[in-house]
Amino acid sequence: MLKKRIIGVVTVKAGWAVQSFGYYSYLPLGKPEILVENLDRWNADEILIQVIDRSENHLGPDFQLIERLGKLGLETPLIYSGGIRSEEDGVRLIQLGADRVVVDALLFDNINKVRDLSEHIGAQAVIASLPLSWKGDELKYLNYRSRESVSISDRVIELIKSRCISEVLISDWEHEGMPNGFEIKLIEKFPLKDTPLIAFGGISNPSQMRALLDLNDISAVAIGNFLNYHEHAIQKYKEALIDLPLRFTSYESIFN
Amino acid sequence: MNSYSIGIVDYGLGNHASVIHSLKDIGVKALSTDKISDLNAVDILMLPGVGAFPPAMNSLHNRGLVDYIREQANLKRPIIGICLGMQLLAESSFEHKHTTGLGLIPGSIQAFSNLGNHIGWNTLKFLNMESTYSNSKNNDEAFYFNHSFFYQGPSEYQVATTQHSIVFPSIIKNGNVVGLQFHPEKSQLAGKIFLKNLITDMMNA
Repeated sequence: MLKKRIIGVVTVKAGWAVQSFGYYSYLPLGKPEILVENLDRWNADEILIQVIDRSENHLGPDFQLIERLGKLGLETPLIYSGGIRSEEDGVRLIQLGADRVVVDALLFDNINKVRDLSEHIGAQAVIASLPLSWKGDELKYLNYRSRESVSISDRVIELIKSRCISEVLISDWEHEGMPNGFEIKLIEKFPLKDTPLIAFGGISNPSQMRALLDLNDISAVAIGNFLNYHEHAIQKYKEALIDLPLRFTSYESIFN
Repeated sequence: MNSYSIGIVDYGLGNHASVIHSLKDIGVKALSTDKISDLNAVDILMLPGVGAFPPAMNSLHNRGLVDYIREQANLKRPIIGICLGMQLLAESSFEHKHTTGLGLIPGSIQAFSNLGNHIGWNTLKFLNMESTYSNSKNNDEAFYFNHSFFYQGPSEYQVATTQHSIVFPSIIKNGNVVGLQFHPEKSQLAGKIFLKNLITDMMNA
């Protein structure tokens, strides 16, 4: 049976891994490579590296970073997010070491390019990022470049329905970095059922993870800040969720 | 394991650092190349894969590797295909359009119903426990999958299956050619143990 996943997230701004609080306040953590290597060693189910200042500043993807990460020879699948402008950007990221890529601003800028990207690298390698909030009994989709919250457009809904993307990353941007902050309504009220969803933003404790992972459409929870406080934090979370359909790893070595 | 070598067939899609890293960890020499002279010098050919079937076959054709790989299979050289690399071993694929594959294992590549994907960690069920890499532990271990299409073909070529929306073949084999739908190089310790057993098995066949 397919397991549900716990994804370790590393947020990068101006080339440094940062702890983010609602995407407006940041604390530096160090080199992204070090945090990614930690998550690899701690057996995260996937690693998401999200470079948050690339789309906003029209910089394109951080190819140098993904190239450095690609050379690490990670044993954990790597997802890259930040600044993807075209099919060519996505293909190059895969060539440099990403296993999957997240499209964000491209959903506003040119949805046909998302389809082109999917055709080249396969839908399984493409994730759509939707920063959402719950306002006035309605789901709102943040255009983080204009800072406007709008309704999810029909074109984005049609793209998701067409299965050009494999999963939707729902970020609770308002509660990101806030302990126990994730608003579960963002998942419950998401208009498309039977779409694999990844929840991210303010997910900090096992009971909250359990509530999310119990939902049929949740394929993974993604955790950022709260992995930074303890060694092997992912394994500790999994120990607390041992009755759920997660992957439990062993550290036994056969190479001695 | 130190005496074995693997040539990763570089057809321009994907990054091979993780495969090389995993192979080195288990004591196998590995190189990534599209040079036939270098590929001739290794024990096992490996076709990795990330991407879609048509551009991958196109790239293999452009590099003059299709006929070479078919010839090597006829010469009984061990060949391992991973993920898309496994799918390329089949006769054809219906990803986006009908595309002819390498044809080393009878069968074709089909989409999951409802255009679904199979992404994440899942287990294998071995249909025949005789091969040394099908040790009992592999039935409990999860491996990383990331695909939208799957192999459909005669049961005689199926070594292991995986349960998703349907049961699909996750390891296929025809003589010295083996295809893995999952990514052992991204499956952490379980993947390395699997690769070690598989390579040992293939080299002692």
